[in-house]
Amino acid sequence: MKVYLLRRVLAVIPVMIVVATVTFVLLHLAPGDPASVMAGPDATEHDVAKIRRLLGLDELLPVQLVRWYSRLLVGDLGTSIFLRQPVLEAIVDRLEPTLLLALWGLLIAVLIGIPTGVVSARYRNTVVDQSCMGLALVGLSIPNFLLGLLMILFFGVWLGWLPVAGYVPLERGLWANLRSLIMPAVSLGLVQSALIARITRSSMLDVLREQYILAGRAKGLSEPNVIYKHALRNAIIPTLTVIGISFAVILGGAVVVENVFNIPGLGRLIYSAVLRRDYPVIQGVVLLVAVKYTLVNLVVDLAYIAIDPRIRYR
Amino acid sequence: MTVNVHAEQLRERLPITVPASSERLRALRFFLRRRTAVVGALLVIAYLLIALFAPVLSRRDPQVLDVQARLSAPSAQHWFGRDDVGRDVWSRVIYGTRLSFVVGTSVVFLSVLGGLAAGLAGGYYRRLDDVLMRVMDGLMAFPGIVLAIALVAALGPSVVNVITALAVVYIPRVARLVRGSVLVVRETPYVEAARALGIPDLRVVVRHVLPNCLSPVLVQGTFIFAAAVLGEAALSFLGLGVPPQVPSLGNVLAEGRLYLHQAPWLTLFPGAAIMAVILGLNLFGDGLRDLLDPKLRSEGVEKLSGPASGPRGASR
Repeated sequence: MKVYLLRRVLAVIPVMIVVATVTFVLLHLAPGDPASVMAGPDATEHDVAKIRRLLGLDELLPVQLVRWYSRLLVGDLGTSIFLRQPVLEAIVDRLEPTLLLALWGLLIAVLIGIPTGVVSARYRNTVVDQSCMGLALVGLSIPNFLLGLLMILFFGVWLGWLPVAGYVPLERGLWANLRSLIMPAVSLGLVQSALIARITRSSMLDVLREQYILAGRAKGLSEPNVIYKHALRNAIIPTLTVIGISFAVILGGAVVVENVFNIPGLGRLIYSAVLRRDYPVIQGVVLLVAVKYTLVNLVVDLAYIAIDPRIRYR
Repeated sequence: MTVNVHAEQLRERLPITVPASSERLRALRFFLRRRTAVVGALLVIAYLLIALFAPVLSRRDPQVLDVQARLSAPSAQHWFGRDDVGRDVWSRVIYGTRLSFVVGTSVVFLSVLGGLAAGLAGGYYRRLDDVLMRVMDGLMAFPGIVLAIALVAALGPSVVNVITALAVVYIPRVARLVRGSVLVVRETPYVEAARALGIPDLRVVVRHVLPNCLSPVLVQGTFIFAAAVLGEAALSFLGLGVPPQVPSLGNVLAEGRLYLHQAPWLTLFPGAAIMAVILGLNLFGDGLRDLLDPKLRSEGVEKLSGPASGPRGASR
């Protein structure tokens, strides 16, 4: 058990090295000299040289790479020339809306997805099951930004129930914050709930074929008891894996959806950074999102052990 | 005399094998029995036809402006209305659909090619495995759309760069999948036999290992196609993908977003087109997976009525 834990935690290290290297390479993929691209067409030779020095581009490539690693180790992501502030600071300033959005989105995905999957499995091949799974298929086919646009059109423009766009920070009250995040969170969560429902259904169906379910029914346990206490607990493992993936998709999707709803989070930050060719900011956001995703996966793997004791002995 | 024992030849000598044609017929019948799969196949065929015959379906140039008629509502001449500079939305949607088809096909081709190479090399040569798979894990640590945004940001916005970026995103998914099946296939007696006969590695891999790893890739391919169509739309919607003058479903949606109140048709029609494409690919992919899953096929109708599911795109 301890060995497994340690191995799993240590496995994060090579992934992080690759992540750091890929983000480093991003800057050098650009055709031509990144410094002159950043400086823009009107820049003087002097400006370009200044940016080059600032980004450390005047060093040899291996030296730059080692510098990059060692700076990351102390949490230094560089400085944004356009924002005139350290990248880490810019990211921390915009973390709240993105994190809240992702969490609400995940919550919606799980709260809709798991019950739908369980109900579909319990009443499988009935009208209930078929309509749930049909809806899930339609749900899987809507791009999150399109769902966002359609909701703005329906609830914002036609019905006028919810604000069309914008973000109210948490400090101005939970309710106001929730109202500003509900449409974007649903756009992100609904699609993922379809995925979660499908996986939950199929793993429930697998579990319901097991001997111990038969045994439970034979000894006269009530159907809800069999379904919710015995089957669901065992069926939740594949679902957890998908929830981990869903979180990544939601984190990525938040970048797009924030731009639909004008939410000042990481998505807006990377979007404006791309338009301004602000490479340190692009690198920082990409790196941070990848680190978050890797840590979420680690937590998911560790959660397996908590839920399914059988994994400990493998 | 050289004795070349191929699995296929062995099977041909066995009296119990079913002729290939009737096997194919049975597979087709199995596929056709699933209504959802048939709907998916029809949508995919329609998609293919639109992509092939875009110039026939839409006689108007999707780039011609008519500012006088900007944002005019759908009419008999302009079925989907006009956009903010008076371009015909019907032809922009048709050509956008065609572009998404080109992007989807190219991304599937490139990512399957790259993924097969990495997966076969990693699965077959254990020494390469660690390095290759760590790189793939690292790439998979980025949420797809974020990595694609970063790559396109570095490479510059163009159709080719969008395709390249999305292919890089999906190579690791294919590689992981292929490696998984190679690890099983390489331990089979027929691969061992081929190696014992002294057949060169490359030939063993290409003739014996590769064909037996293809069917999961085929299924994954349809889902990558759908993901690539979504990816292009999302990138272009943000204004980071293909250049704005190129008709793309994402570009049309991006323009429509500004006129949601005045001209909802700018959002509704391209939106419906994307949904139909993705729905078709998903249904088709589901049908294909069930078809290639021998367990499901032998189980018969009982399990078939509800859409079966598996870890789609979740091959890790």
